[in-house]
Amino acid sequence: MIELQGVSKIFPNGVRALNNISLKINRGDFVFLVGPSGSGKSTFLRMLFREDRPTEGKILIDGKDITTMPESRIPYLRRNLGIVLQDFQLLKRRTVAENVAFGLRVIGTSESVINNKVQEALEQVGLSHKRRMYPTELSGGEQQRVCIARAIVNNPLILITDEPTGNLDPMISQEIMQLFLNINKSGTTVIVATHNDGIVRKLRKRVVALVEGQIVKDEEHGTYAYE
Amino acid sequence: MSYSNLKFFIVEALTNMRKSGVMAFITISTIAISLILMGTFLLATMNMEGFLAQMQSEALVTAYLKKDATLDSANTLYLRLTSLEEIENVKVISPEDAANELFTNPDDKKLLQIGLDNNENPLPFTIRIKIKNTESLEKILKKLKNEPLVDSVNYGEDLYKQLEGMSKLLWIVSLIVVILLGLASLFIVYNTVRLTLFMRREEIIIMKLVGATNWFVRGPFVVEGFLEGLLASTMSVVVLLLSYNFILTKLAELIPFFNSTITVEQLFKLSIKLFMMGIVLGVSGSLISLRDINKFSRSTALYEGI
Repeated sequence: MIELQGVSKIFPNGVRALNNISLKINRGDFVFLVGPSGSGKSTFLRMLFREDRPTEGKILIDGKDITTMPESRIPYLRRNLGIVLQDFQLLKRRTVAENVAFGLRVIGTSESVINNKVQEALEQVGLSHKRRMYPTELSGGEQQRVCIARAIVNNPLILITDEPTGNLDPMISQEIMQLFLNINKSGTTVIVATHNDGIVRKLRKRVVALVEGQIVKDEEHGTYAYE
Repeated sequence: MSYSNLKFFIVEALTNMRKSGVMAFITISTIAISLILMGTFLLATMNMEGFLAQMQSEALVTAYLKKDATLDSANTLYLRLTSLEEIENVKVISPEDAANELFTNPDDKKLLQIGLDNNENPLPFTIRIKIKNTESLEKILKKLKNEPLVDSVNYGEDLYKQLEGMSKLLWIVSLIVVILLGLASLFIVYNTVRLTLFMRREEIIIMKLVGATNWFVRGPFVVEGFLEGLLASTMSVVVLLLSYNFILTKLAELIPFFNSTITVEQLFKLSIKLFMMGIVLGVSGSLISLRDINKFSRSTALYEGI
């Protein structure tokens, strides 16, 4: 499903964020990406949705090399991905339902389909009763759930999340992880970059640890430790 | 483009125009003022050209015969001229008739009568010629000048040349004004869209993250440019048409014998031109500022402060 072959990323200032990474993630996998700050986790994830390109190596998604994919095809790649980032990135001037619908609207989905799908996604994250509220009226955990609803509303093949519980308390973090597990059960590949060792330890999923841009550990039912 | 996309673009454009009211107002009024000025110059040029064309089409050539010309010789020339196909009509004016035309004041007429009684009418026989079309003017003038009986020829050359010069100047000034104002409006639209892009960068980044194509991201801005151009041109056409009479009066004061030759059809065409210009300015201003939208991403926004 996802395959990285000798991927390196060197920034113009000379910083080597990723160093010759090779990795395979199968369809339906649940992968934690762990490592200290600056280890290259976010760069790794950005490569997956072609926010950035590797300096060397290839990234294949479903057999297609996305590193050489023309710019015009990137939107279509992203329509198969759900992306949740640490900074919630909700549109403050739009309601919860409009924020979730936004993901469908920009790909030209018809209004009737949008309404049903938004309702489904909001029910999945337990926020259908707050559909008319604005992001500023929600708690941090609720805002993150809206982001998740927006990411899954299009039934993505892969859900990519970068520190999704970074600003949340342990209780809410667990709820968010439970959501990811549910989404994973429906067949979506889930990749979570996190610093939350409690959750990683508890869920015992595949753990890929990055240190200074290199994979130092890849365990099937791993823990958070990477040193 | 699907109906739902178009609806999305229009709703987004209208919402943005409402929410960034001041910027939309600046853009619309800049385009409108430019179009009003452009329209004024175009109207002036059109009027001038029409006036000149009218002058040309009504070109009357007056040939003054030599003092020793007689009625017979004048009539001979008259017959020769009427046989020319370029000439519409010819009229022979006797010195007496010419004097009558000249001295309309009763006191002057008395003086004239004294002169005539003494057989001292200083005026020669005159032949007035109306030409069918202005292309043959040069030919007829040459022909007349070569006639031994003709002393001098007059066809309002000086006034015509003066007006023609003014018209050319007006045309060049209009062209410069249109280009400069067009560029200025384009620059304003470009900058306001750039500013809007900056204000809405989060939205654009999210749009791109969820898989919107670059053209989809551009859509609302292009529609906004279109609507602003349309509103601005509507305003300018209304203002221009309402103040048209006023402008004409002013032009009549500036230019002697001025008389508007612009038809309703020409005004309609000018309005269409202004609408087109407004829309082109609005849309192209937006498109130019959106040309690098594909570089707009979360990382560039963070690193380059877009």
